Amino acid sequence: MVTQILDPTDERVPIKRQLTPRPEALHGTIALLDISKPRGDVFLDRLEQLLHERAPGVETRRFMKPTVAKPAPQPIKDAILEECDFVIEALAD
Amino acid sequence: MHPPTKFSLLDADGQEMQFPPEGPVLLALVKEDCDTCNLTLPLLEAVHRDTDDGLDVWVAVQKRDDIPVLKDRHDLTMPLLDDDALDLSYETDIDTVPTLFLYDEEQNCTLQTFGFDKHEWREIASESMTLAGRPGSETSIDWESLPEQRPGCGARNYEPGVYERLQALKSGDLLSRLVDLASSDDIHEFMYDQGYTDGFPVVPPTRERVWKMLQGTTRDPQDEVAIVPPNLAPITVEKVAINAVMAGAKPEYMPAIIALVETACTESFNIHGVLATTMGATPVGIFNGPIRDRIGMNYLHGALGSGNRANAAIGRALRLCARNVGGSVPGGTDRATQGGPHRLTMNFAENEDASPWDSLAVEYGFEPTDDVATLMAMSGGPATIADERSRDGRGMAGTLAASMSCMQDPKSPMVDTLVVLSPDHAGIFGRSGWSKDDVRECIMEETAIPLKDRLRSDQAGAGLPPSVVERFGGEQALDLPVPKFQDKSNIILVVAGSSAAKFSTILGGWAGGVYSTPTSARIGPGGALEIRGRSGADMDKRRSGGKDLGAFEPNIRRP
Repeated sequence: MVTQILDPTDERVPIKRQLTPRPEALHGTIALLDISKPRGDVFLDRLEQLLHERAPGVETRRFMKPTVAKPAPQPIKDAILEECDFVIEALAD
Repeated sequence: MHPPTKFSLLDADGQEMQFPPEGPVLLALVKEDCDTCNLTLPLLEAVHRDTDDGLDVWVAVQKRDDIPVLKDRHDLTMPLLDDDALDLSYETDIDTVPTLFLYDEEQNCTLQTFGFDKHEWREIASESMTLAGRPGSETSIDWESLPEQRPGCGARNYEPGVYERLQALKSGDLLSRLVDLASSDDIHEFMYDQGYTDGFPVVPPTRERVWKMLQGTTRDPQDEVAIVPPNLAPITVEKVAINAVMAGAKPEYMPAIIALVETACTESFNIHGVLATTMGATPVGIFNGPIRDRIGMNYLHGALGSGNRANAAIGRALRLCARNVGGSVPGGTDRATQGGPHRLTMNFAENEDASPWDSLAVEYGFEPTDDVATLMAMSGGPATIADERSRDGRGMAGTLAASMSCMQDPKSPMVDTLVVLSPDHAGIFGRSGWSKDDVRECIMEETAIPLKDRLRSDQAGAGLPPSVVERFGGEQALDLPVPKFQDKSNIILVVAGSSAAKFSTILGGWAGGVYSTPTSARIGPGGALEIRGRSGADMDKRRSGGKDLGAFEPNIRRP
């Protein structure tokens, strides 16, 4: 596996991976994505409850991958992108 | 092969062993899958035992996992050192195992050998006994049972792939910033995300690949090749090599790629303008001379694309250098309105054997035996000219003229235009005894139309401004013929392709070819030996028409 390459540029720009800019505050709609791991629903149920208590103006929307073993199907990604401002993914049991 | 003077390796128990030890030492380098090493390891063990504390015998093994194997196989008690990283092997530059170095008590290397030569080994064993304080004593080795000679085996540090890796890591040739990838990164996605590519996948420029690429040129990796616009960034041979790897080039293309980068960055060629223009121009490379066959360029079927590695990779490497080092990125300083597929790579060789004329390089003053690359800035085409009926030069030139008369638009004059004739079309001129200039003169005549027909109008906005009429004498100039081209030398004729059929190709110059001059490099092992802009291409003269004329100076033919 390739782990290092030589920089082909003039090296005046630092190499970095950009994280998506973090918001100042929660607002809008949060996608809660269950990846079909056992008890992901329990975790997300509790998280949803806490979000509604502590961030009353925020809406939540639930999504679920059909299988844990494969990446999310494109329609789910598209729906999250279109309908939601944030996503919280319940990754593992 | 250089006897080491100082090193540090771990032994089989993980203890650090500092070389040289105190007192005399016999150092050997071996590997497991070598019959001669296996033949001689018991001999080294015998020297170790027979010299007792009087002399150290150290054996460096080229693979860590082989140490316990050899230890068990030969019941070895002498220190076995771990040279899995091949640091010692690289420093000593051994190419054969086993290799032996015998040092006296003052750490002078007094004897060395490689492979197995009984006479030499016997001498080393005897000298070892002397250095151990037992002069005249024989070792317990049964020399009579041993063959006279056995060749050694290739050392692991010279195995294909390993050698390049060691050179890349240790030679100090490579100074570019290393970019670390996470184990979860997909290299191709990563490189695309970093903006390193032209949209197609690139070959990851690992240190090994870049080092191998650098072997294609005699030039020092840190030599500055050019200053690349628009960022005016210096580009070294190493940076050219990195981008050449990414483009899919082979090391033998390096001289050509370096030469193209040097040529592109001249004021004469003006890569800054070529790649920044909203017209969407691109460098087109045309190769002449023995280099075409030497590096496997294509000048036959499909010469203009696609399918040939040299043609494709050389042009792509130039573009990647301009992108990654120069910073020419579409939407940034690359302002091409539409661009085109030839902006990925456009590079070919002239089919000199099929041409009835001197090659382009010879026409521009080089020798037929010179390796020459000529860069032209082209924004139009490639457009096909089909003529399967003409049988003589006049008919063929007429077809070319008819096709070329409407380049860009029928009214606007052009300057440089590249005509790539197929061998069949070129052969017609050859059989008719037409020179290149005959063809050009005919095209100049055939494309000449009255000045009034080259003027802008309400029916077609392109063309010359009305003010040009006054400049050339008022209304009486309106009927004077104006050829399509500024000068016959702007009609650039080359031959490429196979004798498949009677189709040729034209490519229009950028802004008529005004701001970039065809520029040629004579190629040597380190890049361009000399660079020449086309003679007679006087850019200042071309611009003297002033703003009203735009870039063009119409060539009015007075009776």
